Amino acid sequence: MRFQLKEYGAEAVAFDTASGDTHYLAPLALALFQLYREFPGLSSDGARHMLAQRHTIEPGLPLATQVDETLDGLCRIGLIRPE
Amino acid sequence: MKLLQLSSADLLECLRGSGIWLRTGPFSLRVRSRVPSVAAGLADLYGQFEVRRAHESFADFHVSVNAPNPLRRWLRPQVDFSFDGQLPFKPLPYDQAYPMLEWGLNWCVSMHAHQYLIIHAAVVEKNGGAAILPAPPGSGKSTLTAGLVLSGWRLLSDELTLIDRKTGLIHPLPRPVSLKNQAIPVIQAFSREAFINRPSHDTAKGTVAHLRPPKESVRRQHEPAPPAWVIFPKWTAGAETRLTPRSKAQTFMFLAQNAFNYSHLGADGFRVGTQLVDRTACYDFSYSRLDEAVAAFDRLADTPPWAG
Repeated sequence: MRFQLKEYGAEAVAFDTASGDTHYLAPLALALFQLYREFPGLSSDGARHMLAQRHTIEPGLPLATQVDETLDGLCRIGLIRPE
Repeated sequence: MKLLQLSSADLLECLRGSGIWLRTGPFSLRVRSRVPSVAAGLADLYGQFEVRRAHESFADFHVSVNAPNPLRRWLRPQVDFSFDGQLPFKPLPYDQAYPMLEWGLNWCVSMHAHQYLIIHAAVVEKNGGAAILPAPPGSGKSTLTAGLVLSGWRLLSDELTLIDRKTGLIHPLPRPVSLKNQAIPVIQAFSREAFINRPSHDTAKGTVAHLRPPKESVRRQHEPAPPAWVIFPKWTAGAETRLTPRSKAQTFMFLAQNAFNYSHLGADGFRVGTQLVDRTACYDFSYSRLDEAVAAFDRLADTPPWAG
């Protein structure tokens, strides 16, 4: 397995065995990472809606921007794969 | 034999000849030097440590601090730190020979002792629990460490936290506590028991002196301790003494970034670091008064995390 993940409540740290890098996952990043582990082919729209449902938050513009940026970040470090 | 049992003349002779063998925590050193301030520093600060004649025992690190060129004895004299015959640093002014030895020894451990995860942090122990104190320079870490060890806490290290990769326990390396600038008079005023050696001025860190480690800490230097707390101290003028719980994930990231060999250890560094954070309570700690800070730590030591 490429990544080793250690969760601490709503946050986590991840070790990339390929690069040797360690990443901090803030609560939104961890929530998205868990979502994509459950539903690997999820679109970013789908991710926003599922997050909004699970965490009872408004799926409006601020969330959309944050989700897109966080997904970009997770893709860049290889924690999730872009569809 | 303890170093204090050697006469000054014997110590000088050993240092100038084949060297002196010295045990500090899990490491043995062979130290050589013709510089009188190095002999004086060792006599002042390492009196309680075990020594032998250098030819009697194997040593992990062979080091020396000496003038590089006899001609420079008169023109801006300098000293070199040598490790196994190599010179890892540029020379420093002759007056900084003793702190150079201490800095060089820190370098030897941090570059070579990969049986440990080595974090740049002070660590002290009381009631069976170790408090790791990582912090950036200027945060009051060494001042707090000195105050604690002069108030009954055991010094494990003021600079290098050695986490055993097999057991997760912290191994002591109770060498002298480095004090800088204003910390020197603060600690002199804090305790009459504080013995601080002759300061070296105009170093890269300002004025530097070293606090002699407590006798009891040296006596117990082979007794590891389980980690109980990771506490980030921050001295601020006028601040209230306050412990605030801190994110464990962010604590881990700071420790990883401030470990000397985290990258070198790869996945095992991650495993050891996350286990460490799992078993400790993590806090930010602000303070301005050293006596209040020590009292806060004493209260913490009365209720270690495993006491529920």
